[in-house]
Amino acid sequence: MVTISVVKQVLDANDRIAQENRRLFDEKGIYVINLMSSPGAGKTSLVERTIEELRQRYKLAVIEGDIQDTYDAERVAALGIPVVQINTGGGCHIDANMVREAMADLPLDGVDLLIVENVGNLVCPAEFKVGENDKIMILSTPEGADKPSKYPLMFHESSVLLINKMDLMTHVSFDLTKARADALKCNPALAIFEVSCKTGNGLDGWFAWITEHIERFKTRTA
Amino acid sequence: MHEMSLSASLLAIVSDYAGRHHFSKVNTLRLSFGALSCIEPRSLELAFGVLSQGTPAQDARLEFDIQPVVVKCLTCERESASEEFPCPCPQCTSSEVILMKGTEELKLLEMDVD
Repeated sequence: MVTISVVKQVLDANDRIAQENRRLFDEKGIYVINLMSSPGAGKTSLVERTIEELRQRYKLAVIEGDIQDTYDAERVAALGIPVVQINTGGGCHIDANMVREAMADLPLDGVDLLIVENVGNLVCPAEFKVGENDKIMILSTPEGADKPSKYPLMFHESSVLLINKMDLMTHVSFDLTKARADALKCNPALAIFEVSCKTGNGLDGWFAWITEHIERFKTRTA
Repeated sequence: MHEMSLSASLLAIVSDYAGRHHFSKVNTLRLSFGALSCIEPRSLELAFGVLSQGTPAQDARLEFDIQPVVVKCLTCERESASEEFPCPCPQCTSSEVILMKGTEELKLLEMDVD
């Protein structure tokens, strides 16, 4: 018997493709976010709100990931924004290769912001880089304030946490103080915004964040 | 079930090494990951067992070196290992702690082969 020393990240192959995606995005000056949450937390609603706010100023594109169906992509297409649907066929996350294939079907020239909406899941998407600049996550108040302590990896990896459905908070006994405190223990640098995609409350902070990051990226790549 | 994707990536690495080091059977794979990395050892064993059928890694044993959670206390400024997270500081019980370690990705450390 022989022992072979390997010491290799098992997701190395995915990370390499993610880096290739990133190189292409850098060349084209595209700022990319990987949007993650549980099913039903409000990813597509946030995408719609963000498109409505930024469409006058920026050119946008969207990659929609779902296990099956094209319902979310149709919602985005209805706004006149280029969108490609990835159906993972049972897969619980989007990986870098799926994004690479989807990019071929998307007119990327001149795009300022590409939103990759991941499959609804608080576990696996955190591990698979797709070539994004930042991971953005949503936690909605009906899910409960225990999510940062149950799924710390996702909170650890994200740059932004949007606490959505704030309009429902009083009905679902969501402990906002605990959610915020536990999320910051996972990641002290996390930017947290309390929002309602339904009423629009609180979204100004998010719009300011994303605009600042698109602009910062533009000056960096210029 | 990201354990399925992880197993497939693991088998791709094994296949790559089998070509270069000319072995026909893997007895043991030693893996490491952080306690908070959302990897379930039993699910990984199950997925790996199914996907490795007919490969050199069929029937290989998986050994797990699980990296502990380490928190830093903002009150006493000490770092300590912890069984769980979130948790109070194990040394001074302050609740002002931040996560330092425990989310390490799955790594293949070494393999015993014939």
